[in-house]
Amino acid sequence: MIVFAILALFLVASALFTVTAKKPVYSVVGLLVNFIALAATYLTLQAEFLAVIQIVVYSGAILILFVFVIALLSSGTRAFSLGPDRMPRVAIPGILFAALACGAIAVTATRTSLAVQPTAGATGDANVFGSVANFGAALFTTNLLPFEVTAFILMVAVIGVVLIAGDEGPAGVPRRKKRRSGPREPIVKPEPLVR
Amino acid sequence: MLLALVWLLPLLGAVLLFAFGPQLRSWAGPIGSALVGVSFVATCTLWNDATVAGGMHLPLVTWLSGWSFGLSLDKLSLVWTLIITGVGFLIHVYSIGYMDGDRAFARFFAYMNFFIFAMLTLVLSDNVVGLLVGWGLVGLASYFLIGFWFERPSAVAAARKAFVMNVVGDVGIMFAIFLIVSRVGSIAFSDIFTRGVPAFGAHSPELFLVCLGLFIGAAAKSAQVPLHTWLPDAMEGPTPVSALIHAATMVTAGVYLVARFAPLWSSSPDAQELVGVIGALTAIAGAILGCVQWDIKRILAYSTMSQIGYMIMGVGVGAYDAGVMHFLTHAFFKAQLFLGSGIVIHALNNEQDVRKMGGLRKGTPFAFWAMLVGVLAICGVPGFSGFFSKDAVLYGTLSLGHPWLYAVGVITAGITAYYMFRLLFVTFFGRYRGDVDPSALGMRHPELAGTGMSESSGAHPEEEEPHHEHAPAWIMSVPVAVLMPFSVLIGWLDYGGESAPWARFFSGAFPTSAAAATPFSELLSSVLVFVVVVIGFAIAWMRYCAPPARANAVERLRGETIRTPAVLVNAYYFDAAYEMLLVRPAYALGRWFVRVIDPLVIDAGVREAGISSQWLGHLFRSFQTGLVRTYALTMALGVLCFVAYYAFAFGGAR
Amino acid sequence: MSVAPENYVALSAVLFFIGVVGVIVRRNPLIMLMSIELLFNSANLALVAFARAWVNNAGHIFAFLVITVAAAEAAIALAIVAVTFRRTPHVDVDEVAALKG
Repeated sequence: MIVFAILALFLVASALFTVTAKKPVYSVVGLLVNFIALAATYLTLQAEFLAVIQIVVYSGAILILFVFVIALLSSGTRAFSLGPDRMPRVAIPGILFAALACGAIAVTATRTSLAVQPTAGATGDANVFGSVANFGAALFTTNLLPFEVTAFILMVAVIGVVLIAGDEGPAGVPRRKKRRSGPREPIVKPEPLVR
Repeated sequence: MLLALVWLLPLLGAVLLFAFGPQLRSWAGPIGSALVGVSFVATCTLWNDATVAGGMHLPLVTWLSGWSFGLSLDKLSLVWTLIITGVGFLIHVYSIGYMDGDRAFARFFAYMNFFIFAMLTLVLSDNVVGLLVGWGLVGLASYFLIGFWFERPSAVAAARKAFVMNVVGDVGIMFAIFLIVSRVGSIAFSDIFTRGVPAFGAHSPELFLVCLGLFIGAAAKSAQVPLHTWLPDAMEGPTPVSALIHAATMVTAGVYLVARFAPLWSSSPDAQELVGVIGALTAIAGAILGCVQWDIKRILAYSTMSQIGYMIMGVGVGAYDAGVMHFLTHAFFKAQLFLGSGIVIHALNNEQDVRKMGGLRKGTPFAFWAMLVGVLAICGVPGFSGFFSKDAVLYGTLSLGHPWLYAVGVITAGITAYYMFRLLFVTFFGRYRGDVDPSALGMRHPELAGTGMSESSGAHPEEEEPHHEHAPAWIMSVPVAVLMPFSVLIGWLDYGGESAPWARFFSGAFPTSAAAATPFSELLSSVLVFVVVVIGFAIAWMRYCAPPARANAVERLRGETIRTPAVLVNAYYFDAAYEMLLVRPAYALGRWFVRVIDPLVIDAGVREAGISSQWLGHLFRSFQTGLVRTYALTMALGVLCFVAYYAFAFGGAR
Repeated sequence: MSVAPENYVALSAVLFFIGVVGVIVRRNPLIMLMSIELLFNSANLALVAFARAWVNNAGHIFAFLVITVAAAEAAIALAIVAVTFRRTPHVDVDEVAALKG
């Protein structure tokens, strides 16, 4: 319980910091803390593999991407500046309602008690819930198709990124295909037959 | 495989000539003809396979159970296939001469080949749906070819008329097919004939409906009363087309249909009675109209209608082999008559009015002899082919218990003799009248204005083109010469009663009906018919060829033209009736739609839909702020709604 | 497990709320994206908590898929941000309103 309380504290605090930070770089730091705390939370829930993945993918890959983009946008002559945040007028009731809803969930959830089934066994055994072996078996047998689809989605994302950011003209407009003018040059130049 | 070749070669020709017609130039005709000729030869080699019991069968595609498509060649379709490809080949060859110099030479042969393909589809199909497809395609080919000289408005109108009336028939067949499929569950002929009659029940009203639907199709295609009005107009097409499509093959498809569905007809006496009566009515109605026509091709058209009436009467009463026999002989002698008249028309620079002919016996002797043989055959002079087949049909009606139809048929035979010899005498005897003032012949008489009779079709526009060398004259004569012996001799196939080759060929192919007691023998019947024919010939002789008639031919022709009864000039007012009953109301309905429905319902509906979508667009536009955060807020509210629903509807439900 | 799963779900709801507020309130696209990552993570937390409660690793699989999709989403979104804001003086999503109807 104490572990959970500490982790929850970290999670909420770092999330708030992320959202309220002045500069994106600070947000990244907040987010890093949040991710690590979440990985620890996963461990308390016996989701070992997910905890590792959380660190590797989120902290390792996604956050680095963020840092890269921040660096990219901040580089050059102009400052990475931003005026004060203004909320849309409707945001206030919206946020209020959202807060109410989340409060409702939280209250309902804590009032409800879910019967937790016990788990037992040594970590690493494929029959034990939450072990990496167990997770892998489920991923590559019953859920193979979603897994493959995920791979496809990632590929599409890669192609999409290349299309969006890769081929960019001088004015920020994607370049059209270059048009050749004049006669085509022969690909293979004829060599003189006599040396 | 060879059967598929027979079927597809004309299609190949059509595609080839459509695609490369301009490049092939004058080779288009020989190529188109040769393909049909090869098809004919291939059919001949299939003779032994086709004449075994049940014929040969070539399955092509099976779509669903009971819905397999294929080709079949049995005795009945063999007769038709031989005529289609054989006579078709001769007419193709003839067309090389007739259409020589026409701008659209290749297009003509492409259409002709397409027609042959369509007709073969019709007769070779082993199922009703394939038959209907062929049925529609020959109608299409007929449309193309009637309207071949589409610069002429009259040709276009005639083509349209033929197509529309044929579609009426197609719908009839379609309904018959619906009924058949719903009861029998199969489209194959073999299934329909074995299971059809039990499924419907002999003498049942449903069976009568099926037969009626089929007969509406047959009547439309074969120009039977009351769907016959397109056939005379169809003579707007080139003469070879008239010979091939509107005399020899396509218009006899109705006969084929009735003969093909013989097992069904034989179980529905009411339908048989109807078909026999319609056939007889058409025979005599067409013959009477043939007596007052002056356009050589229209005379032949009405005679075709009349002769098909005979065939339909024959197959209708159950004398199937006699009806098919008449089809066979008719295909030869009528093709010959048309081709002979084509030679005359060609020689006279597209003059078709017999009043302006006369004395052509010396000018075009070959055409005269060809026409003479054809006329003798069609009149049923003993020894010529028409004699055997017509007598078979007539005696068949009598022996199967239809004395009234027999009487009508005999009278029609006399009228046929009259108008055919009238044609022959007016065209080939007397003095040439091409140089006589038309009004002296009674042409362009005010009473006749607009009836189609007074106008000769005129020269077609291609005539004005600078001509290159004409094809040799023999190319038009040879096919006619080939047809001639057949016109004379083919009838002998039916000589000898039960032991005749024809009767043995078809023995067992058709259901037999119980013969009624006949009042007199077949020989006496033949003598009676011949006497009537001689009377008809005698009247024609006295009116047109006897010396006093020849002396003042011009005056007599004028008098006859002017005194023609209006009811005959207007062809019994069928066209007028259709105009009054169908065309005018349709136009009125159309105008009402234009005035009321179109602006107030359709246009208004479209306009209102446009306006309302514009209005909705304006409404939704206001939501599209383009600001990401507003969208996010909206989504958050949506999520909120879901969460609230689940939280308050199920919260604490455990 | 000593802590009842409802506590995890409540924590997840709170984190979700923080993420929503971040997306709605902030104008910096990068911070908005990070808030979206928070949303993903809160959902994952709920999934993992329920998976534990019912001893069913379908929740783990689902969370795994969410992580993958989140990675794809982050890559695409950051590419868009990079392309969109490379030439503008201010990084402000409210200035990108070309889709206004």
